Amino acid sequence: MSLKRITKELNDLGRDPPTSCSAGPVGDDLYHWQASIMGPPDSPYAGGVFFLSIHFPTDYPFKPPKISFTTKIYHPNINANGNICLDILKDQWSPALTISKVLLSICSLLTDANPDDPLVPEIAHIYKTDRAKYEATAKEWTKKYAV
Amino acid sequence: MSKITVKLVAAESLYKRDVFRSPDPFSVLTIDGSQTKSTAAARKTLNPYWNETFTFTGVNENGILTIQVFDQKKFKKKDQGFLGVVNVRIGDVLGHLDEDSINRGARREETITRDLKRSNDGMAVSGRLILVLSTAPSGAHTSSHTASSSAQASDESRAHASTHAASSNSTSTPAQTVANTLQSGTTSAPITAAAASSRQYSSFEDQYGRLPPGWERRTDNFGRTYYVDHNTRTTTWKRPTLDQTETERGDQLNANTELERRQHRGRTLPGGGNSESGSSIAVQSNTGSSTPTVNGTAAAALAATGATTSGLGELPPGWEQRFTPEGRAYFVDHNTRTTTWVDPRRQQYIRTYGPANTTIQQQPVSQLGPLPSGWEMRLTNTARVYFVDHNTKTTTWDDPRLPSSLDQNVPQYKRDFRRKVIYFRSQPALRILPGQCHIKVRRKNIFEDAYQEIMRQTPEDLKKRLMIKFDGEEGLDYGGVSREFFFLLSHEMFNPFYCLFEYSAHDNYTIQINPKSGINPEHLNYFKFIGRVVGLGVFHRRFLDAFFVGALYKMMLHKKVVLQDMEGVDAEVYNSLKWILENSIDGILDLTFSADDETFGEVVTVDLKPDGRNIEVTDENKKEYVELFTQWKTCSRVQEQFKAFMDGFNELIPEDLVNVFDERELELLIGGIAEIDVEDWKKHTDYRGYQESDETVKWFWKAISEWDNEQRARLLQFTTGTSRIPVNGFKDLQGSDGPRRFTIEKAGEVQQLPKSHTCFNRVDLPPYGDYETLKQKLTLAVEETIGFGQE
Repeated sequence: MSLKRITKELNDLGRDPPTSCSAGPVGDDLYHWQASIMGPPDSPYAGGVFFLSIHFPTDYPFKPPKISFTTKIYHPNINANGNICLDILKDQWSPALTISKVLLSICSLLTDANPDDPLVPEIAHIYKTDRAKYEATAKEWTKKYAV
Repeated sequence: MSKITVKLVAAESLYKRDVFRSPDPFSVLTIDGSQTKSTAAARKTLNPYWNETFTFTGVNENGILTIQVFDQKKFKKKDQGFLGVVNVRIGDVLGHLDEDSINRGARREETITRDLKRSNDGMAVSGRLILVLSTAPSGAHTSSHTASSSAQASDESRAHASTHAASSNSTSTPAQTVANTLQSGTTSAPITAAAASSRQYSSFEDQYGRLPPGWERRTDNFGRTYYVDHNTRTTTWKRPTLDQTETERGDQLNANTELERRQHRGRTLPGGGNSESGSSIAVQSNTGSSTPTVNGTAAAALAATGATTSGLGELPPGWEQRFTPEGRAYFVDHNTRTTTWVDPRRQQYIRTYGPANTTIQQQPVSQLGPLPSGWEMRLTNTARVYFVDHNTKTTTWDDPRLPSSLDQNVPQYKRDFRRKVIYFRSQPALRILPGQCHIKVRRKNIFEDAYQEIMRQTPEDLKKRLMIKFDGEEGLDYGGVSREFFFLLSHEMFNPFYCLFEYSAHDNYTIQINPKSGINPEHLNYFKFIGRVVGLGVFHRRFLDAFFVGALYKMMLHKKVVLQDMEGVDAEVYNSLKWILENSIDGILDLTFSADDETFGEVVTVDLKPDGRNIEVTDENKKEYVELFTQWKTCSRVQEQFKAFMDGFNELIPEDLVNVFDERELELLIGGIAEIDVEDWKKHTDYRGYQESDETVKWFWKAISEWDNEQRARLLQFTTGTSRIPVNGFKDLQGSDGPRRFTIEKAGEVQQLPKSHTCFNRVDLPPYGDYETLKQKLTLAVEETIGFGQE
C-alpha cells in the first residue's frame, strides 16, 4: 500500500513539480527522501535553499511522514534538531495529504510563523517583541547556513 | 567551546550536623574536574548567601559543573565537613553551546535551584543551591551584545573580578587541593564530547550528551523514545540524568515499585475472595464452598455444583430436615413420602411451569445437563428460579434447556459484576483441587524460574493450592507471597524489554502483543506460559499488575474487534481509517485490499483478502476494507502469539466460563479494581466550556463520589480506555499525544448520552438540567458497552 502510494507521489512530483520545492528518494530506499525548499522571497529566508529529510512510515499514508530540516534555520516553529511543529504533521494529518502539499505548508510556515504555538519559545518571544531583530538573525542564519 | 558564567547565589536549609553550632559553609566549583573555583565562607548559617560569579572557559554542553559545599570549620577533618554536592550538565540548562548560536542568538541565562545530593560515603545532606548559569559571549562580540543588558555587563565584570580573586587565592585555599580528588568520587558518569553539530547520535547518546553507563536509547514502533537500563533490565520513558547516581536511580525505581505494589495490593473484586482471610478460607476448604459468604444467588449457583452450605432459610412446605445417627443431615418430603440427602432449598430440582401455570413438573437438574454457555441460574426473593443469559443480557423464567414459554414478569436484567464473579467462582471448573502446587523462584530470576516451574507442571497440578516460595526467604504462602509473586512476575513478563509485549500507541502503560516477538524463537512457548500465568491469577484470585489494550480483552472473549477499538491501539491509524469512512476516497486514495508490514527493515505486502493487492478500494467497498484492516492490525498480525496465549489461559479457565464477562469486566477480573482517589482525580481534571464551579460539574463529581469503585473504574474505561491509573496518580494520565489530563467538555444535547474520546481522555458532558438526569445518563453511557455513545 505505502510503496505504491509513495511511487505515485514521486511520479506526480516529476510530472507537476510544485514551485520552489523539490523532493525525491535519497538512494534505493523509497521510504527515505530528501527535499529542498527555496526560502520564500517575502521572508527573511529568501535566497536560501533549505534541505529536509523525509522518512515515510510503513503505515503511510495512514500515518504522517517524519520530516525535519537538515539545514540550520532560525524559526520559532523549528528547533535546533530541525524538528518542525506543524499541525498537519501531527494530529491534523489526513491520508489525503501528500508530500507536495506538506512541503507547500512548510513554505508558508516560513513566510508566516506561528509564534503562539512555538517549538523554540525564545525565538517566538523575539519574533513577537522585536520583529526586526528576528528578521536580522534569520537573515544572518540563512546567509551563513543556507546559501 | 564557549565561555559561561556561573553565579552561585545562595544555599538554603543545609543539613545541621551539630546540635549547638551552625557551619561556616563555602562552595567549591569545578567543570569536568578542572578550573576549580571557590566561594568565601559564610559565617554560622544554614542559609549562606554568597552571590559570587565565576567564569569558566572552554566549556561545551557536555561539561559537568560540580558544586560541593563544605563547612570550613571542619574542612580538615576526615569528612571535610561535607554538606552536599550538585552536578549540573551545562547543556541541560543552557542547551547547545556552539559559538554561532551564542553570538547570534540572545544571551541565555537560567536561574536554577538544585537539591544537594549525598556523596558516595552516604552522609546525610539536605537543602538546595540556587545558581544562575549564563552564556558569556566571547571576544569581539561581547561589547555589542552586552550593551543590551547593563545588568549583564556588570555581572561580566564582576565575574572576571572574582575569577581573578579566586585564582589568586587558589593556592591558599585547602579546597583547591582536595577538590580534584573529591571530584572523581562525585561525578557519576564519564563525560564525552559529542560533536554538537552532529544530528546522528548513537543509541548511547542524544542531543543532551551521553547516557549513563549501561543505558541505551531506543525508539519504539511509534517513534517514541524510551530508555533501556541494562543494569537493572528495566525500561523507562524518562531520560536518565547524569546528576543521579546509580544508587539514587535504584532508590527511585524502588520507591516507584513500592508505590505500584501498594496500589496492586489495594485492588479488589466484588463478590469476596480478595481479602486475606476470605481467600485463605476458600483455599483451605477445598471441597467446600469457595465463597464463605453465601446469599441466595450464590447458593443457587453453588447448589448446581453440589457444594454444601447451610442456613438457607425455611424448608418448603411439607419438608423436614432430619439427622442420621452419624449426624449427617437428610431431608424428608412428606408430600411424596421420600427422603433425600439433597437440600430442597438448593434447587436441585427445577420446577417448570406448564402453559397455564397449573401443573408443576419437577425434574432433577442432573438429567438436563449443564446450562448453556453464558447462562446463570438465580433465585428471586420468593425462591423462584429464573435464568440470566449473559450473552444477550436478558432474563427469563424459562430454563434454556427446556422448551420455552413466555412470561413477562421476570426480573429486569441489570449488569451485575459482583454476581457474575460469584457465579464464575462457583463453577466446578474453578474449584481448587486437593493437594498443593509448589513453586519456588528466585526473586532476581523470577521470569525464567517461574517459566520453568509453571511449564513443567500439568494444568491439573496448577489448580491445587498455590504454595509460592521465594528462594532464601522465610514465609508461608497464605496469600501475601503469591500476591507478591504475581506482582513481580507481571512486571517482568509484560516488560517490553523482552519484546513479547509492547506499549500501545495510546499511552505508555496499556500493553499489547508485540507482532515482532518472533525475534525470540521461543516466543510461542513464552506466550503459552504467560497465558497460563494470567489463567493462574484468575483461578487463584490473584491480580496481575498489567493492563491490556481493550482489543485484546475482546479477543479473549471471541468478540469481534471493531474500528472503535483501534483508538486504543493506534490513534493515528484510527483517525485515518475514520477519515476514509467519512470522506470520498475515489481518485484521492490509491488503496488496495492489502497492508504493508515491516519486519526488521523489510516491507512485506499482506493481502487482506485473497488477491487483495489487486483489488481497488472504492467508496463502495471501503467499509469492508476498514474492517479487514482493523482485523489485521489488531488480530491477524499476532494470531500465532494470541493462540498460544489462549491455549495457556484456557488450560486453567475454560473458554465458555469467562464469556459471562464483558471486555471491561475481564480487565477488572485480571487486574482487580483499584481504590480510586476521587479527590486526586478531581484535582487533576481540566474543563472545557465548563468551570469547576458549574452545577453540572458539581453533579458530575457528586455522582462519582456516590459510585462504588467498580463503576468509577468503568467510567475510566469509558473515558480513557483503561481502568489503570498511573502510579503517581491522575496527574500522569497519558493520551495518544503525550500527557493528557482527564477532561470534561461541555458538549452535546441534554437528551443525548455523554460521549468519550479515549485518545484525549475526554468526556463530552451535555449540560443536563438536574442531578438525577446527569446520573442516569452517565450511568447509562458507562454501562452500555456496545456502540456506546462514542463517535
